[in-house]
Amino acid sequence: MILTRVKSHHRPVVWAEDQDQQQPETITNADGTKTIISYKTNEQGKKVKVTQKIKLVVVKESVNKNVASRKKWAKFGSERGNAPGPDYRTTQIGDVVTLRLSTDWKKTEAAAEEEKKSEAAKAKSYSGIKCRTCGGAHYTAKCPFKDTLGSVDPAAANAEAEGIAAAEAAVASGKYVPVHMRGQDGGIASEQERRDRDDACTVKITQLNENVDEFMLRQELLARWPIVRCTLVKNRETGRSKGLAYVQFQSEEAAQNAIERLDGQGYQNLIIHVEWSKPKKNNV
Amino acid sequence: MRPLLLKGHERSLTQVKYNREGDLIFTVAKDKEASIWYSFNGERVGTFNGHGGTIWSIDVDQETLLAVTGSADFSAKLWKVETGENVFTFKLNTPVRRVEFSGKNDRLLCVTDEVMGFKGTISIFKLNYNDIYTQDSTPLVSIETRENFKKVSVAAWTYNDKYIIAGHQDGVISKYDATTGEFIDSAHVHEGLVTDLQFSKDRTYFITSSKDKTSHIVDVDTLEVLKTFETDAPLNSAAITPVKEFVVLGGGQEARDVTTSSMAQGKFEARFYHKVFGDEVGRVKGHFGPLNYIAVHPKGTSYASGGEDGYVRVHEFEKSYFDFKYDVEITAEATKNSSLNDDDDQ
Repeated sequence: MILTRVKSHHRPVVWAEDQDQQQPETITNADGTKTIISYKTNEQGKKVKVTQKIKLVVVKESVNKNVASRKKWAKFGSERGNAPGPDYRTTQIGDVVTLRLSTDWKKTEAAAEEEKKSEAAKAKSYSGIKCRTCGGAHYTAKCPFKDTLGSVDPAAANAEAEGIAAAEAAVASGKYVPVHMRGQDGGIASEQERRDRDDACTVKITQLNENVDEFMLRQELLARWPIVRCTLVKNRETGRSKGLAYVQFQSEEAAQNAIERLDGQGYQNLIIHVEWSKPKKNNV
Repeated sequence: MRPLLLKGHERSLTQVKYNREGDLIFTVAKDKEASIWYSFNGERVGTFNGHGGTIWSIDVDQETLLAVTGSADFSAKLWKVETGENVFTFKLNTPVRRVEFSGKNDRLLCVTDEVMGFKGTISIFKLNYNDIYTQDSTPLVSIETRENFKKVSVAAWTYNDKYIIAGHQDGVISKYDATTGEFIDSAHVHEGLVTDLQFSKDRTYFITSSKDKTSHIVDVDTLEVLKTFETDAPLNSAAITPVKEFVVLGGGQEARDVTTSSMAQGKFEARFYHKVFGDEVGRVKGHFGPLNYIAVHPKGTSYASGGEDGYVRVHEFEKSYFDFKYDVEITAEATKNSSLNDDDDQ
């Protein structure tokens, strides 16, 4: 039995006091216990008095003579030469298992299972999914009130930035449209439109800060040039930016101008690189 | 309780045994080494290296001097437990499925498989403790499988080493005189392979387990089924607990079906039944494969299970295990105590 009481003295430590580290004081009590008082300095530089009350209890365990002798055996076979004591490679402690003995253990087990299930269902309902139609805990597409409450207001979607609107429109049409296939209106670009799209005006921005999103690119970095499209490359799983963006300008002059102005400039703590997305034939 | 996980084998366990004092655990698996562990902390003391195939069975004598292993390499080997030294090898015709020392340590039985045109046999060898390195390799008695009997899967010694009880592939239990090898009696108790046969402490009755999903307690003298425990999975092992009146059954789905079903369906649990009332009173989960063998500490304080998953799990019983009593038991004790008090008053 060890009782530890720590009392701390709130006063600044003098260097000289460090020297007189007192020897622990031992007092033998009448009831056979011992009190040990010692002093030490804690991490905050305060001197601390530690009082320990100790009761020594001798536990005698009688062990079979043969068992005791077997405990001293040297290891043999594949274990030869290994240090005494359990080896974590062969001996581990398992997870807690319960053995609740009762005649109706099946009932208690079933009840516990039921409780677990209901708790899991509860946790599921708080997963943060919110329907945009009715506000319930499910995806908008699976909303049971989809027909009665109607879909999301298309006017609100238009108010968003162009790129986001394009994505919304694609979603609204119920089909994913890859970025390179999207037309100016956000829908699927016709074959002709796609062929006519001028990659000559497209610029690649690399080494962007991860925190930069499309909105920032449009509103801050590229605000002074007329832009057709702006696409920030993101990790599909995590949704985090890869620090790479493709920007299509309305004219080649604007693109050229942007490269001259922005390449090598600092933006959000990083020096960004701006270059043509495809090597220029006439430039080479 | 937190079980000790003993991971010394690379393949599925075949047998797990405690020695008489219960301080050592002996385990064998389908790999070629037998492992010896301290039961109190799970430390591996050593291994018996030398077999060339699956070790099907292991046993240790009463004094923990010698151990015997029976292997699929057509041999049974005697080992000095303290050093792991192979002191003698009994050569047999077919794989050895079961080995067991007699209670007086003077004899050894080996059950051999019925393959390659050889009859399944229970061979009894005499043990020489004066010079353990020289043993008589010709058996004292050979009990061949009788006509119209299926092959023997398990066998064990009864009280006083008087009889040998054997379990057969078709669920029959047979009894032989241990000295002459003479057939005495048989009983058809199971519908499937008898997978295990373990004795009570006094060796007057034993528990069997079978692939037919049942387990029986059978009396040695009459071969009468005293108790039956029914489960919902094929059983691989059954053990009787000392101190408390329980039996522990282990098994689960066939090893070959394991990969095609979920763990919950596999029923890979140790089941505790009350030995007298026959009710299932609890289960212990943990293995992720069928339990191949269950051994209970001779003092009834813990049990070890070896699984198809290659783990041995040693479970120390908690206080609640020893405290558990049926209502009738509690009432009976209370009335007994009160009647004693009444006697004092008078």
